[in-house]
This record gives sequence, structure tokens and C-alpha cells, in this order.
Amino acid sequence: MNRLFNLPTLITIAVMIVFLPIVQRPVVAAEVLTLGIAALATNLLLGYTGLLSFGHAMFFGVGAYSAGILAVKFGFSAFAAIPLAVLITAVVSWLIGLVCVRRSGLYFIMITLAFNQMFYFIAYSWTSMTGGEDGLPGLRRPALIADQWSFYIFTVIVFLITIVLMKRFVDSPTGRILQAIRDNPARAAAIGYNVERYKLIAFAISGLFTGLAGAIFAFVFEIVPIDKIHLLFSGDIVFMTLIGGSASFIGPLIGAAFYTWLQETVSLYWDRWPMVLGIVFALVVLFFRTGIVGMAEALAQKALGKKAAKTASGEPAEARQ
Amino acid sequence: MSVALQCKSVSKHFEGVKAVSNVSFDVQQGALHAVIGPNGAGKTTLFNCITSEYAPTSGEVLFEGNRISGRRPHDLPTFGASRSFQRTSIFANLTVAQNVWLSAFRQFAGNKVEIVRSADSHPEVAEVIARTLDEVGLARYADAPATELAHGDQRLLDFAIALAPKPRLLLLDEPTAGLSRTDTQRVMNLIEGFKGRYTIVLIEHKMDVVMRISDRLTVMYFGEVLAEGTPEEIRANPRVREAYLGRRA
Repeated sequence: MNRLFNLPTLITIAVMIVFLPIVQRPVVAAEVLTLGIAALATNLLLGYTGLLSFGHAMFFGVGAYSAGILAVKFGFSAFAAIPLAVLITAVVSWLIGLVCVRRSGLYFIMITLAFNQMFYFIAYSWTSMTGGEDGLPGLRRPALIADQWSFYIFTVIVFLITIVLMKRFVDSPTGRILQAIRDNPARAAAIGYNVERYKLIAFAISGLFTGLAGAIFAFVFEIVPIDKIHLLFSGDIVFMTLIGGSASFIGPLIGAAFYTWLQETVSLYWDRWPMVLGIVFALVVLFFRTGIVGMAEALAQKALGKKAAKTASGEPAEARQ
Repeated sequence: MSVALQCKSVSKHFEGVKAVSNVSFDVQQGALHAVIGPNGAGKTTLFNCITSEYAPTSGEVLFEGNRISGRRPHDLPTFGASRSFQRTSIFANLTVAQNVWLSAFRQFAGNKVEIVRSADSHPEVAEVIARTLDEVGLARYADAPATELAHGDQRLLDFAIALAPKPRLLLLDEPTAGLSRTDTQRVMNLIEGFKGRYTIVLIEHKMDVVMRISDRLTVMYFGEVLAEGTPEEIRANPRVREAYLGRRA
């Protein structure tokens, strides 16, 4: 049997899990891992299926609000609220996917964007449930994971389970068929694969994991801020995915860490920190299409002075728009 | 021998333009039937009607008694048919073996969606891949990225993808288009080797290429059937000579 992760990926994951809570507060480390789950999930669509969604804040938000509302309004514990929220998001993303996958290219992007706005306005106006503009406060972590460190360990466990499931998914027949659809949808159809059906599977699974990220995020700062369901946050998730490198499985996680680091450090000195984000993004898109991981791979190859083997099987190629 | 494929009065009109008008022919089981004609004769439109890329405006295509036209492109393999593409159509970012895996797995798993097991965990599929790559002569490149293959080898890979599911009907759209003379020869030899094992419909632009290997030919001209017959009959047909060969004679 093939090994699930290659060595550099394993090292990256281990180093991040160990050092994140040392260089940052454990809650921030937990935030990085949850954003990482969202970015990795987004990459199932972007890198592996070739679909750019500007609607993933919607799934993150549905996960976060579902968990938050279940916990605050109905008294569910986090351990019950999170799985239920994942279930809800899975249903929502499947339904929305039914509409979205009928279109491709720009139209697909615009539909995801429109749905995202719709969900934002629901969150904005349904104040009795969502708290509207002020967000939904008042979540409480259960006693078992109440303090920062135990919550971080909880997040790590969920994170590890998630990436194992995701990697198995991309290495599965369906994962390979999705990459084929990304490369050449007409041929994939001629071979006998129902392209829309496979895109829907990718969409729903991507939404499901993004919802999981949102549900955990709700307990990171024990509040659901409304900006996490806003369109701009969809852009942020895409930013994390691309800056980390959509051509590698683990790249988006690095992107999520980089994004959080920018936010945590630059925002202390400058209110307009998103401008830095924008500049970095422009540079990546213009000069480093393969993101941080792509750059690191290129540097490593130079340093080793040899042409290392091309990306291993199961790694997505550079995403195309 | 029995009739395997029937094209029954297939027409395709685009906003009044009659791209294909009333085209009919039968193909015997195991025979190689070529559809030829000058550029713009409607060959590719006809091909797209057979493969359900388009729905015919009228008429239908039957294979083994089942209607295969007017469905969705991904339904074609269900009826035991495979197609190749005029412009080489492969999966650039996958390896050669993974390219073939796609059609081999489709045949193996049917409509079932598998999301847990590893893609390479089926020895039956691996066997089909190995055998197919062997047949087209690409076995030694199995683990190479598809993009690294030479142009002619990519066309052979395109064939391998079509062959892996062991189809009973092969639909080939200008298999030698854009190939060098050497590669054209390789591809034609390969197709010749298919004869008798598959029912084949071949769309071709180059007449010399098909005369040697076809059992029967349909000549199209401005969307209509100009003539149908054996290569000898076609060669002797004065209308064909005038419309098609005339310019070369």
C-alpha cells in the first residue's frame, strides 16, 4: 500500500502542530488549524477539480452559525453541536452544489458569489438567531476543552483526522477522476464519467469540511463574527489556498498560517493590513504561481543540485482559472 | 455476419444550415467502415451525432439494437462503445498509466463512486492497464507524465484510453490528423491490427489512408451521402472522382 503522506508533508504537519502554539497563543494556533482545514477543503475544488468558488465563506459561516446557534440557543454541547453543524453544512452545500455545478468557468464563480451574498444577508437580518451585525456571542467550550491547551489538542485531533480523510479522498478513484475532469472534462465524459455528478461530489465534500472548520472556529473565540460569512472572507480563503500553493496537498495549510501571521503581526502596527495582503497576493499571482510550497520545492531542488522527481501522484497540478 | 451499427437517416441542422442530411449506412459486426469526404462535408458533425456530442435533428443511430444517439456523451461507454478524438485528448497532468486507469476503472466499477480505497488498489484494473499499454507499445512509459510523451505517442495513448474498457465499437475521429508520416503509419498499422476484433467507424480526411484498410466507405459531400461501397467501388465511382479525387487525379 502506498504511504498516505510523503516525508516533507509529514514533517510540515508535525512542525506546525508543535511550533504553532509556541510562537502564538494556543487559541491562535487552533485558529490556524481551523482556517487550514477550510483552505485545504477549498483546494479540493480549486486545485483538484479546477473549480474556483467564491462562496466558501458561506459554508464556513453555515458551519459556524449552526454550531453557534445549537450551542447558544438550544444548549447543545460543542461535542454535539459540531457534528450536527457539519451535517447541516453538508446538506446545504449539496443543495447549492446542485445549482452551481451546472455552470462552469466564470458563471460558476458568479453563482457561488451570489449564494454567498444571499447567506450573508440572511445572517445579517435574522438577528434573533444570528445576532446580526454584532455576531453571535456567548458560546462556551465544554469543561473538557475549556482551557486553551486542551482546546488546542482537541483541534489537533480533529485536524489530523480531517487531513487523513481528505488525503484518502484525493488518492481515491474519485480524487483521480476529479483531476481528470479538471484537465480535460470532455474526455472524462467520453470515458463515461458524469462530469456534473463528480463536480457535485467534490463541491459537497469541500463544503462539508469547510463547514467543519467553521463549526470549530465558532469555539475558538467563543463567538461567531458576521464577517466570517461575508464574501470578503471567501476571498481570504482563496488567498490562503493560492498563497500556500494549490498545486500541493498541504500548501493551503501553510497559506492559512501565513495569512494568520500577517493578520496577527501587521495588524498591530497598521490598521490597513489587508493592503499588505493585497500586495502579497498580487506578487504571488504575478511571479509565484505555485505559492509558498512551490517556491520551497524549487529552492530545495536548486539546493540539492538535482532535478528532483516531479510532483508525486495524487498531487494536483497548478490550478487554472 | 450481422449488422452491428446502423445510422438511420441522421440529419443535423444548425439554424437552417444543413450540416448533415439524411445519412444512412449499416456496419457489419467486426467491419471497418470509413466515412470520408472533403473538409466541410459534415463528417465531424455526423461523428458528434453518433457520440451524442450533438443530438441529431432527425434520425437515430443504433448499436446492437440500442439507440446510442441523442443521449449524453458519458452514456456512450455503457453501450460498449469507445471514441477517440481528432485532436489528441489526454490528461496532461496524470501519468500514462493513470490516463489509461481512468477508462479501465470506469469499465471495472461501472457507475459506482469510490471515495475511500486508494485508486491503485484494484489489481484487476492494473492488469488491464498493463495489457492495454502493451498493445499500443507504450508499456515502458507507464509512469511518465503524459505531457512528456512525443506527439505520436500521445495519440497512441489516446487510443489506449479508448481500448482499455474492451469496447465492441470503436469510433475514431480522424486518427491520423496532424501526425507525421511515420506516426501516421504507426497508427494505421495499429488500426489494421484491430480489424475483426472491433466494429470500427473511422472518420477520415485523407483518402489514401483509408482505402487500404476499410471494408466499406461512405463518401460525404456537402452534408449528404455521395456514395457508399467497397474501396474498389468507391475508387471506380465517377461522382466520387469528380467531387473528391478529381482534384488530385
